[in-house]
Amino acid sequence: MSLETQHRAKTKVALATEAIVEEEGRYVYCVADAREDMSLGKIGIEGHKVHTIPHKDICAVVHSCSAQPYQSDDQEVVKAWVRMHQKVVDAAWERWDTVLPLSFDTIIRGEAEKSAEQNVKDWLKQEYEEFKRRIKKVKGRAEYGVQIFWEPKVIAQSLTSTSPQIRRLDEEIKTKPKGLAYMYRQRLENLMKHEMETKADEYFKDFYGRIRKYTDDVRVEKTKRAEPSLQMIMNLSCLVYRDRYTELGEELGKINRMRGFAVRFTGPWPPYSFVGGA
Amino acid sequence: MVVDIDEKSLKHGVLGLVIALVEIIRDALNLQAIKRMEGGSLTEEEIERLGQALMELDAAIEEIKQEQGIVESVRSVRDGLDEVVDDVLDRMINPEKWRQEAEK
Repeated sequence: MSLETQHRAKTKVALATEAIVEEEGRYVYCVADAREDMSLGKIGIEGHKVHTIPHKDICAVVHSCSAQPYQSDDQEVVKAWVRMHQKVVDAAWERWDTVLPLSFDTIIRGEAEKSAEQNVKDWLKQEYEEFKRRIKKVKGRAEYGVQIFWEPKVIAQSLTSTSPQIRRLDEEIKTKPKGLAYMYRQRLENLMKHEMETKADEYFKDFYGRIRKYTDDVRVEKTKRAEPSLQMIMNLSCLVYRDRYTELGEELGKINRMRGFAVRFTGPWPPYSFVGGA
Repeated sequence: MVVDIDEKSLKHGVLGLVIALVEIIRDALNLQAIKRMEGGSLTEEEIERLGQALMELDAAIEEIKQEQGIVESVRSVRDGLDEVVDDVLDRMINPEKWRQEAEK
């Protein structure tokens, strides 16, 4: 998640780039569900002092900076920044339970007649209802990542033993001369691919239904290419009530124990995937 | 982006690209061959000859890839193309994407 966030962040902060170098800004990590006006110490990006800016019963978690976005051609440097960003969000999340994380490099700048601090306050005030609505949506929940993999080899083997069509073709190949055997093998491979896709679909629906029961919201993410021996067939971000976490874990355990399947269950995370949009 | 041209990696890149394209054409040929075979328009003997020819093509491609050490670069070209196609398809058939594009 971190890498995607940072790429998006680069384009998102055009707002801040327009500012003059020395201008003052506030780097915003997240909006927390807390009535707090305090300092969190020097835990920010590059050791900046992090503090809160309150409005009613919510606050923004920020550090003071120039109104320049954090930019570097060095991927490692950017990664370190993003990690620090996540650390601060984590800290706020542990402390106040409910936070709305912002993407990396969100900076609110001051204007000639208005300080950055005041701008943040106004922003909280203006968007207050929306923030409250989103806080309500994620309160008491945490985000978990669920990735399900299968081993194509193992699945293919079990298909060969269960599908009469595939088994017949497999037998036939052994009796054919070279050229014919080659053609039949191609056909078998195509058939197999088709069957695997159908299977993947079936499993997806089955697993999705089972996972959905224990989650408040699910986002289907793009599957990523893993190694050839282990293929990702599902990649979900799940918003889960904290007290249902064990049940979800148990269900995933069942899937993980199926032959040829593996589950990666990560979290809890602050609800990064569930704070935007509807 | 800086384009860093070193003769060896250029050769790898171009060769990888060429072989990736040959592989794609091979796949298309295979698909056609299978369709005809399944359609019943080929005699047993013709299928045998077709199979032999495709098999030799396979072996030749594999040999070139091994000899030139471009197995990886061919794979990366094909993976890259797969992703492009996935993206295009996703944009065409996924209504969620239409909404996102419209909001931009």
